[in-house]
Amino acid sequence: MSTPDLTPRPEQTPKRQRRRIMPMVVLALVVVAGGVVITQALSTAVDYYCNVDEVGERSGCDTGRRLRIQGTVGEGTVVVATGATLFDIRFNGASVKVEYAGEPGGIFKECLPVVVHGVFDESSGMFLGDRVEVKHSEDYVAVNDNRLEEAEADSAACDSSA
Amino acid sequence: MTLDPPSTVSTTSRRGTATAATRVLGVLTIVMIGWLGVFGLLLSPADRDQGDAVRIMYVHVPSVWLAYLAFIVTALASAVHLFGKSHSMQADRVAGASAEIGVVFMAVTLVTGMLWGRITWGVYWQWDARLTTTALLFISYIGYLAVRGLEGSRSQRARRSAIVGLLAVLEVPLVHWSVRLWRSLHQEATVLGTDLDVSLDGLMLFSLFVGVVAFTLLFLWLLLHRSRVLTMIDLSAETGLDAALAQRRAEGGVTA
Repeated sequence: MSTPDLTPRPEQTPKRQRRRIMPMVVLALVVVAGGVVITQALSTAVDYYCNVDEVGERSGCDTGRRLRIQGTVGEGTVVVATGATLFDIRFNGASVKVEYAGEPGGIFKECLPVVVHGVFDESSGMFLGDRVEVKHSEDYVAVNDNRLEEAEADSAACDSSA
Repeated sequence: MTLDPPSTVSTTSRRGTATAATRVLGVLTIVMIGWLGVFGLLLSPADRDQGDAVRIMYVHVPSVWLAYLAFIVTALASAVHLFGKSHSMQADRVAGASAEIGVVFMAVTLVTGMLWGRITWGVYWQWDARLTTTALLFISYIGYLAVRGLEGSRSQRARRSAIVGLLAVLEVPLVHWSVRLWRSLHQEATVLGTDLDVSLDGLMLFSLFVGVVAFTLLFLWLLLHRSRVLTMIDLSAETGLDAALAQRRAEGGVTA
């Protein structure tokens, strides 16, 4: 019977490190690739709304389908009729007339941007909305801060988006 | 400030996980949260469009800040565990504790955001880019906590969860920039936008600042205590194992 070789085996640390890092690199590449795919998918399919000026112009904003349209509620256009609210939404010089069955919720009012869900009535060209969401901007102004320049800026903001 | 439990703590101690430093931190946190209440509810003005609903911002924004911070701390601690020479188990415990806190405050973010959305938008929820990616982030870290609980040795679980913790944190910038990358019902960033232009009334901004400081202190306080609790759980498990081995040896007539 021969004497067993009890010489310590050489260190294999570098090989073990390679084993640990490689799956991480592969997983990171998978995540990056997945992120690119999701980004592309979201960019083309999950843009939340079409702007008013893109209706009938941009791919996915065709008038013959259900749409979500974003625009600013036109100043002086809100009319509350029996069981319905009529108003214009405007963006970048374009305008769409909206008939919403009911009273919009949230903080709906003139000069605020909204997203209206609905379909176009082909005969009247009116956009028949069944949901209105108020898209609040990132600007916050104190309610009692009624200095002249801010009032003028507010007015200009409503005009410029129209 | 150490993350290890106080040296006098044992399984029979009544001192718990507190030290003089954490007590000071706790008092500071309570004071700042009190100030947040005063500024958020009394001193800061209502918003021109949103009215008093804007006060939800003083909890919503600091809570999402805290969740982001917690997930970044989880990733850093995971990296220390995974790539450090000693594969520190303390770093793993910090990662786990931070993720738990992050998940809780991400839930707070979602709930306050839904309430705020109902008041301003008119709906609790919509599957737009910001809300969807936030939900995805929340679910990812619930998954992270699930991975921490999987079968395996303590070191195996720590290694697995460290990898998940490093991958999941990549969602944080995606969530933050989602309102710039895609069209979203959610507003764009008011404070941490790309143009660095803050469109916020002065007292509102200060109240928000008080909220961020208060929640950051709260995070540190919770992280210290929870990390120490996790350390004590590990010590308890080891003590239990030693006791079981000693009992088994005694049954077999073997002296340790």
